[in-house]
Amino acid sequence: MKILEKEKINSVLDFLAGQYDLVAPVSQDGLKFEYAQVKDSSKVNLDFTNSHESPKKLFFPQYEVLFRYYADGRKEVPALETDKKRVIFGMRPCDAKALLFLDKVFDDAKYQDPYYLTKRNNTVIFTLGCVSPQSTCFCTSFDIGPFAKDGSDVFVADFGDFYSFEAVTDKGEEILKKLSGLRDAAGEHISKYEKLSRESAAKIKRHIELQGLAEELINKQDAPMWEQIHLKCIRCGVCSFLCPTCHCFDMIDENQGPQQGARVRIWDSCMSCGFTQEASGHNPRPGGREKMRQRVMHKFSYIPQNFDTFGCVGCGRCIKNCPVRNDITKTIKKLRESESREKR
Amino acid sequence: MVDLEKQLRAQAKKLLEDKAVDCVIGYENSDDPLMTTPCFITAPNEVDRLVLNCLCGNNLTKYLIGRKEKTAVVAKAWDVRSVAVLVKENQVKRENVIIIGVPSLRIVDQKKIIAHLNGKEVISVILKENAIEVQGDVFSEDLLIDDYLQAGCELRDDIDDSMFDIVIGEMPASKQNIDDDDLIKQLEAMSSEQRWEFFKKEFSKCIRCYACREACPLCYCKSCFVDQNFPAWFSKSTDLSDNMSFHIIRALHAAGRCTDCGACFRACPNDINLRVLNRKIAKDIKELFDSEPGLNPKEDLPLTSYKPDDPQDFIK
Amino acid sequence: MSTESEKWEPKILAFLCSWCSYAGADLAGVSRLQYPPNVRVVKVPCSGRINPVFIVKALQQGWDGVLVSGCHPGDCHYITGNYYARRRFAVLKNILEFIGIEQGRVQFSWVSAGEGEKFATVIKEVTESIRKLGPAQRLVKK
Repeated sequence: MKILEKEKINSVLDFLAGQYDLVAPVSQDGLKFEYAQVKDSSKVNLDFTNSHESPKKLFFPQYEVLFRYYADGRKEVPALETDKKRVIFGMRPCDAKALLFLDKVFDDAKYQDPYYLTKRNNTVIFTLGCVSPQSTCFCTSFDIGPFAKDGSDVFVADFGDFYSFEAVTDKGEEILKKLSGLRDAAGEHISKYEKLSRESAAKIKRHIELQGLAEELINKQDAPMWEQIHLKCIRCGVCSFLCPTCHCFDMIDENQGPQQGARVRIWDSCMSCGFTQEASGHNPRPGGREKMRQRVMHKFSYIPQNFDTFGCVGCGRCIKNCPVRNDITKTIKKLRESESREKR
Repeated sequence: MVDLEKQLRAQAKKLLEDKAVDCVIGYENSDDPLMTTPCFITAPNEVDRLVLNCLCGNNLTKYLIGRKEKTAVVAKAWDVRSVAVLVKENQVKRENVIIIGVPSLRIVDQKKIIAHLNGKEVISVILKENAIEVQGDVFSEDLLIDDYLQAGCELRDDIDDSMFDIVIGEMPASKQNIDDDDLIKQLEAMSSEQRWEFFKKEFSKCIRCYACREACPLCYCKSCFVDQNFPAWFSKSTDLSDNMSFHIIRALHAAGRCTDCGACFRACPNDINLRVLNRKIAKDIKELFDSEPGLNPKEDLPLTSYKPDDPQDFIK
Repeated sequence: MSTESEKWEPKILAFLCSWCSYAGADLAGVSRLQYPPNVRVVKVPCSGRINPVFIVKALQQGWDGVLVSGCHPGDCHYITGNYYARRRFAVLKNILEFIGIEQGRVQFSWVSAGEGEKFATVIKEVTESIRKLGPAQRLVKK
């Protein structure tokens, strides 16, 4: 572990911005934060809980042109490679862990998605440990925790008067060597680190009981409780669009003028009315009950079965931003407490 | 406030006990101290979950669309007007709905409070007579409700009596509006370019989650123009031109129908000022055709009616 | 720049109702009246057929101006189509200008089947006013 005095953080950020495409949290109003490319440290604001929108869009944009085609027969794939490496500074551990899951989706044994992977391989992630998690956070339910290092290349923690830097991967190690101003951590730092890590984790009160959940949900596919929990959902896309793990997409051939078109990939949401609608007009998931069930089952049953991990990292964005304050942790709790069949 | 809540619970209990309705749609507390959440009460012994206070923002009349069972719904002044429009448009059968009107209830704007607190998280709220006490980790503050009222949300003394089945609290003595028409006046005074810059800034924030549409009681189309793909009128991209087009057309689809309930604005995760377009249209319609939607379910809506001598100076 | 703007000609999309304005355009044609060749005509059954989506889409596609023309009030083939349309156009025009589309990008007229001359005049006026505005920029999808 290395230590950096707090006042030197800007010089590190400036260095990173000079050598790489630096992406870091910025805020227009001090209320909502987003990741944006910055030219130097002046706009970076590390005093945040988490970004409003999840950083998945840095790898898997909401709208992405896959290729263009022209009436004269030309085809064109947008350049994927860039000559500069990208550094994301200040991602939260939950979002970093979410990327490990997205890797499984976009990079499996059979299919590798070049659009996602080029961006992914080109990026070095500096994760920033959470010292002030929000009441909507529940990452600890997934063994993530505010100081989890999964998915980070370098793990950074804020101690008030200094930052700790810790290389997690070789990629991180390499970049850490280039940073000046860092010094080796002493024993007092290590003990402070452990204390801070424990204290931060203790601040997270919200919890989902996951033991045996994936199997239980399969048995509860037709539970009467589904009729209850979907009622207030208005089926907008806020939860899925802000979610760091939601990755459903649609591909559309878009007319872009009389002589050209493009195949584009756009985010889709299981809540939208066209989701899984078939060409005949039939939709196997026609109503709120089926849509809500798809979202919950996908995250907590299908993904665990297919990928051996949960499709949720407990970032709490869906709870915080839901227009009707539907709460996924409560939904799971209600389902677990409910009967799997109607009582006769 | 407590009185209103008691009255509501008693009324809801009676309705359910008498089997006058199958369900009462109201508000209950949520984990978010600054906002309640919709709830569907079907048994008389559950009525104590119902709350009624300045944190009851959602427009619950959205849930009436497509409901076959007889339902009672808690509705503020502007929500009552939404039902009137839905009845007029044959989306809701009036005889299927019992409107529990709370015509003088006003609500606070959560976004204003969050901005005031500079993003500090509120952990609990204590409701007082004219104020709410917000408490966080290391702070506690009394906020006067009047200072944080949701803009728009007009109290009306001229909503047709037929739109109220049960009235909780007083009927307002006069029309009262939390005005932010200043913004509209400012915009009207600006140059075309300045206005474009204003809306460019607003609508570039849109992520096309359609929370505005889904929260809006008047957006009940089975297939929204923006979801149609044959022909695909507008791209689903977040390109400024597509975002702008979506919001212009959505505002026009709500023209002469919107009762300024603020559902779109409250639902928007990115705090886009969605109301300003709707409000401008409502203002124009009032000036041009002297008509306001939702006050009387028997009256025609302004854009599905006409007068032979409507203004037409703008037509060559 | 100046040579370019001299070369630039506004492209205007005109929605004409088939009973009055389209026939008016026809009359202008058979009467050999001259008017600027900047309009492309789309025939619609009635001005009441105009969906605001058409107009917004046209602006998005880069048309420099849009003209909608129908029967005079009282003359609608479908009796009341243009009365309803008139209210919608008033709202549409105001909101487009409010959001920052220049005044005059979208224009409306009533031209009857007998008003060949008025049609030619309207096209002249519309073309000149849109020429003054310059090429459409704001809502155009790049």
